[in-house]
Amino acid sequence: MSRLVGRVESVCPECLERIGAELVEDGGVVRMVKRCAEHGEFSAVVWRGEPAFSGWVRPKIPFGGGPREAVGRGCPYDCGLCARHAQRTCTALVEITSRCNLNCPVCFADSGGAGTDPDHATLARMFDQVMKRTGGCNLQLSGGEPTVRDDLPEIVGLAKSAGFGFVQLNTNGLRLAADPELAHVLAEAGLSSIFLQFDGVRDDAFRVLRGRDLFEVKNRAVENASAAGLGIVLVPTVARGVNTDQLWDIVRYGLERQPHVRGVHFQPLSYFGRYPEDFVPDHVTLPELMTGLVAQSGGIVRTADFLPPGCEHALCSFSGKYMTHEDGHLVRLGSASCDCTPKPAEAGALKSIGVTARQWSAPAQPETSPSNPDTGQGAEPLAGRGAEPRISSSPPPDNDLDRFLARARTHTFTISAMAFQDAWSLNLDRLQGCCIHVAQPDGRLVPFCAFNLTARDGRALHRGRE
Amino acid sequence: MSLVFMPEDMDWVCEPCGERLTPGKVELNYLGNVFHVELPVCPKCGFVYLYEDLAMGRVLEVEQLLEDK
Repeated sequence: MSRLVGRVESVCPECLERIGAELVEDGGVVRMVKRCAEHGEFSAVVWRGEPAFSGWVRPKIPFGGGPREAVGRGCPYDCGLCARHAQRTCTALVEITSRCNLNCPVCFADSGGAGTDPDHATLARMFDQVMKRTGGCNLQLSGGEPTVRDDLPEIVGLAKSAGFGFVQLNTNGLRLAADPELAHVLAEAGLSSIFLQFDGVRDDAFRVLRGRDLFEVKNRAVENASAAGLGIVLVPTVARGVNTDQLWDIVRYGLERQPHVRGVHFQPLSYFGRYPEDFVPDHVTLPELMTGLVAQSGGIVRTADFLPPGCEHALCSFSGKYMTHEDGHLVRLGSASCDCTPKPAEAGALKSIGVTARQWSAPAQPETSPSNPDTGQGAEPLAGRGAEPRISSSPPPDNDLDRFLARARTHTFTISAMAFQDAWSLNLDRLQGCCIHVAQPDGRLVPFCAFNLTARDGRALHRGRE
Repeated sequence: MSLVFMPEDMDWVCEPCGERLTPGKVELNYLGNVFHVELPVCPKCGFVYLYEDLAMGRVLEVEQLLEDK
């Protein structure tokens, strides 16, 4: 028995015209159903299973500050941010190239062209504009594949000079794997963290999503980044039937490489940019990731561990924070539940900026645990994975606070996911709550899912039109 | 238990009670985590003195490590 659980605005996947959409629930499965007068009806699953759609809320009081663009045609056409946008920037992306050295079958940015890279003067201006417009946020260098630029260390330096405390590199890891020196040079330049494309622990996933075997390459990238003292976030693109059975294996891989790997951030495959032509929309939804992690971990993590975000729209993500004890036991940290009364969006964003920067950076005092975390798969050796000898220059702390600090500084770990929106799943309420913005040379900040939105024929709404 | 959480100038007096603070066992509880520490306590009213260096140092860091988004 289906029932209407919400009315929202979306776009037609064919013409990208704004149309109304209904969220219809049947047996725990929520579909977005919409009809374009010209192109007919479209339906896509946006939520499947537990926790229930109706309870996954974290309302926010909209933030309308900072420079805003005039509203013309309205959302999603006037991004930049427009006067109706409800959230400030938490993370700004600056695309420093459109070139790529991998050419994946799946790519939200449709990278791989031979476009001209922005020069240092342009990038310095963009960094300054972002800092000025946002008042300070986290920065991600993206692309294309940023490491194809030989002047990447200088670009990191420019970002640091502009005042960004947390600078992250979105990368496929190929060059980091091939050139052990690169990670050191980038760390020296001030890079905080790498956001490493990491689709699985077996090559079958890489073959489908990246077109070739890459697991050993990823291992080397992780080793080299670890040795350089960079924080590492593993970022799997999750596609049904490709790597949905490897969710916990990926987390386990990360836990075994603490303190260098700081978390796993799952991103279900979205249908924008470049994706298989013969697709039928089949989004892996956030609750499926949560229940998949619970089942595959054998109950080490629980669905209740994961909370909706205080920064972006509740339906966009989940996260849970953990710590591994010396005996390998994994415990959850953080709030037991979210306070579901409306809170100022800006306060949520400011908190998220700090929490994210601290968690995804390398710990201040790197240390490698002699014991393996309780990963549900039995103990596995850490040997040969860039593990450093344990350095213990002081006696063990003799009070609870210092004991906790000594461990938590190095062994907190986040499991999180973000469900991007494409032309099939776009919900303009969610888009207006977006905090991840792509910086443009003219100073505009365009919400990530609007920037990458493409129609079925590949036509972009914003990308390439700046 | 260590006395590391005693301020260097451990000659504080609880103003309402007029009592000199003495080291006492205290349970700090935040987001479901409990920490047993020793802090200056008023023997009469039980008021605990969390001095600034500790509040802005270890306690702030613990808070930040425990907090999620």
